Amino acid sequence: MRRLSDIVCVFRIQLMSMRSEIGPFLLAALVFPSAMYLFAKAVSSTSATEQTQLRFLAGSIVFSLSLTSISWLGYLLLENRFTGRLKLFATSALAPSSYICGFLLFAFAQASIATTTLLLMGRLFGLQMRPSLLPLALVVTLSVLCLCGLGVVIAARARSFTEGSLLTDALGAGLVFLAPVYYPPEMLPHGVRAVSQLLPTAFAARAVETTLAGSYHVGAELIVLSFMAVVSLAFGFSLTRWREN
Amino acid sequence: MTEDFLLVRETSEIPRSGSVADAAVRVRGLVKRYKDGTEANRGIDLELHPGELISILGPNGAGKTTFLRQLTTELRPTGGSIQVFGVDAVAGPQQARQLMGITPQDAGVFGSLTVSEHFEMFARLKGLGRIAARQQAVEVIESLGLAAETQKRVSLLSGGQRSRILIGLALLGRPPLLVLDEPTTGLDPASRMAVWGVIRRAVTDGAAVILSTHYIEEAERLSDRVGIISRGRLIACGPLDELLGRLERSYRLSYRDPFDPFGKLCECYFASFVEAQRAVARAQLSEYSITRATLEDVYFKLAGEHFAGEQVTE
Repeated sequence: MRRLSDIVCVFRIQLMSMRSEIGPFLLAALVFPSAMYLFAKAVSSTSATEQTQLRFLAGSIVFSLSLTSISWLGYLLLENRFTGRLKLFATSALAPSSYICGFLLFAFAQASIATTTLLLMGRLFGLQMRPSLLPLALVVTLSVLCLCGLGVVIAARARSFTEGSLLTDALGAGLVFLAPVYYPPEMLPHGVRAVSQLLPTAFAARAVETTLAGSYHVGAELIVLSFMAVVSLAFGFSLTRWREN
Repeated sequence: MTEDFLLVRETSEIPRSGSVADAAVRVRGLVKRYKDGTEANRGIDLELHPGELISILGPNGAGKTTFLRQLTTELRPTGGSIQVFGVDAVAGPQQARQLMGITPQDAGVFGSLTVSEHFEMFARLKGLGRIAARQQAVEVIESLGLAAETQKRVSLLSGGQRSRILIGLALLGRPPLLVLDEPTTGLDPASRMAVWGVIRRAVTDGAAVILSTHYIEEAERLSDRVGIISRGRLIACGPLDELLGRLERSYRLSYRDPFDPFGKLCECYFASFVEAQRAVARAQLSEYSITRATLEDVYFKLAGEHFAGEQVTE
């Protein structure tokens, strides 16, 4: 019970802090991914098929998740660590795992807002879709966990704020552009294709696209994303310690 | 003389009686050796009881913060033991931290939160319920003179007010042990006085307080005992009078050198006031003062260097 209360407190502190950071959040979670959707649609062809448009929307949802979970969350964790705020948590008898879980809760809240808004935006742009909501929610949840894990690892290992924020920014955007998210995998050179399809964003985009088309066949992607989430979070949790040697 | 004193202090100063649980803090043989071989703490022994305030003095790099960071479980000791109200702080850091209110050095605050939100949230993190957290927040805000700022965002406050917030956060939940690492650094005199009042009240209420400071005056006015750390060792620890009494020459004569064209300030020490007066008469000094030695003089005698690196000619 105490642990749950601690997690909610960390979540609320981040939520309150967001009052002055709502602009950058909207930019990362909604404006940028929406612009990418329109950009991809514009450059693909004048008559992009419904399936292609679904891929673009799936790509934008994953782009939003990546920016909020790796770049934004990583930035907040780095800010806490390098501005001394982390000391407030570390000295308050809070368990490091509760601290990270509070951030994960915050990331879920952001992901829910962003995904819902982007789905509505898709409808607004005339995209016909009947998303299967439960699998979509599962895919989004696992993607957030997996990507947050990467953010936590970078925030814990970075030697400076500058290094950390550069890494989270590069990874947040890079994982989307390196993976076949906005374009089919066949467009990539052979050597890169195999690697890029192993990226978490590739699995996430494939799964989101499938669920947007109304299908439930995302079992394989869910298993892989679960595995990636467990590995990245386990690593992230193990690196987040209050005590130094 | 310093080394003899050191040996005497380390073997006889710390009371050996009483059970572990009687002491708020019991530190034995604390050693911290960093990977590069630097020994920041070299066998520190210290005991602190409820209702007692001990100030830890020492120049930058002496090992004060390393000592406090080990005490607050932020840093794992290389050797030795730390017990907080009988809890082994090395083996059970989280359990020990629950007994402490800590003001770490260089901690940051959440600028977007209002003062009351800041206190309420961190009171909740200390395990208080919603109503209790709110009540404690109001109490602490008032005691630190921040009542007018309650609904202001922390980012709009002055540096001194933010420092007071950090001290207030340590007081939440009325922990039986307060560990304050240079809590008043950067505060204006009025704020410092307010903070002193709050700290002394906590001591009166039974809290044990360990405080590191760069201000001699702070240590003199607040402490029941003063500890001096130099080069990683606790070279002295005791009540102020006792420390002053250990000086062989406890009267300081300060004067302007009459033969120096710039009137250089000089100081020398005497065993008694009369001896100092004789020296004044002999040298026919016109501009001088004779004062009792201060904690800084004790520090100088013991550590062989001036506190905060001040240059004083003799």
